[in-house]
Amino acid sequence: MRRDANYVTSPLSPAPENAGPAMAAPTGPLTLPAVVEELLSEMAAAVRDGAPIPDEHLLSLKFVFGSSAVQALDLVDHQSVTLISSPSGRRVYQVLGSSGRTYTCLASCHYCSCPAFAFSVLRKGDSLVCKHLLAVYLSQVTRTCQQLSVSDKQLTDILSAEKTQEA
Amino acid sequence: MAETLRRVLNLGSAAGPGENTAEAEPPLLLLGGPGSGKTALLFAAALEAAGEGRGPVLFLTRRPLQSLPRRTGAALEPVRLQKIRFQYPPSTRELLRLLCSAHEARGPAPSLLLLDGLEEYLVEDPGSQEAAYLAALLLDTAVHFSHRAGPGRGCGLIVALQTQEEGGDSGNALQLALLQRYFPAQCWLQPDASGPGQCCLLASLEPGGLGPREEWGVTFQPDGEMTITPWPTQAGDTSSHKGSRSGGQP
Repeated sequence: MRRDANYVTSPLSPAPENAGPAMAAPTGPLTLPAVVEELLSEMAAAVRDGAPIPDEHLLSLKFVFGSSAVQALDLVDHQSVTLISSPSGRRVYQVLGSSGRTYTCLASCHYCSCPAFAFSVLRKGDSLVCKHLLAVYLSQVTRTCQQLSVSDKQLTDILSAEKTQEA
Repeated sequence: MAETLRRVLNLGSAAGPGENTAEAEPPLLLLGGPGSGKTALLFAAALEAAGEGRGPVLFLTRRPLQSLPRRTGAALEPVRLQKIRFQYPPSTRELLRLLCSAHEARGPAPSLLLLDGLEEYLVEDPGSQEAAYLAALLLDTAVHFSHRAGPGRGCGLIVALQTQEEGGDSGNALQLALLQRYFPAQCWLQPDASGPGQCCLLASLEPGGLGPREEWGVTFQPDGEMTITPWPTQAGDTSSHKGSRSGGQP
């Protein structure tokens, strides 16, 4: 059932069910390759039709992302991804990592506050995403994001706090 | 955000009033050495966007401009200047605070977000993750402004970064490579010794996958006035310059 493969136009865009007006996702090397986006939208189409995600898609996921894929699916299974939004419409994701630490992932562009993102994605450039960002995309696809509404001020604190948790 | 800058470099004549160009424009990094005219070009972009009849322009810089760059008289109208809102975050922490709380501000959403002197905010905190978070927050803020402005009225983002004079160390190269991943469109300002006559800068615009590279010559007169001419050596895309100034060769 691929007729609606455009359902998720980009894993960097919010899933339509909780989207406001379309947000312009930045393009460029920090986005996922087209083949990954296609894979994610096919998975989204399967979920939308109430079908289980085909095994071949999960295998492709593992082929592209290696061990991160399994870890990210674990995070999704444990409902570790929370979409936090404020009345302003600004949103941010938080992912509860397996270590018990919480990492912040921006909703609009590739960024996660975890050390693996800093090292493997930004510094060495040998990974496309960390497991937390992948979990965010997968939870959008499977519609298993936890939702949390906070005040505008609280969202400011969440975004600001990201900086200090590095220390 | 290449389109606003392209209109500046084409003296406002490239794409008409630019009604439908702002959306989905990738964020742009404006790169050049000290004194290469980055601030003047940013300010010209601010004036350009302020004249579009959309939201205000948010201009972030560490310190007030020493003087208003001169340009053609028509563009420096008070009504445009009033739409440019300057803010002067004095430190990286204050800049981050401003970006993190951008959604708390009321009023019309900006149509263009500009940051001059990104390097001044990066020296305090040279780690790659900090630089990435600053870049990502700039993008996130512009996306939020776009979201607030509504469909078809995106908020552009142009950030100016001073590049090192002679190569720089590997840390700087790493940081630049990182920033370029967040800013797919780039405009380089470089001195050009082969320019005709006076001191001339070469502005090369890489629009980030949306078209071919374009180049202009930028000259600053002794009185500070900026003159821009299409770079004569480019081939194949002269049509995009058909509206450019006549008699532009100095």
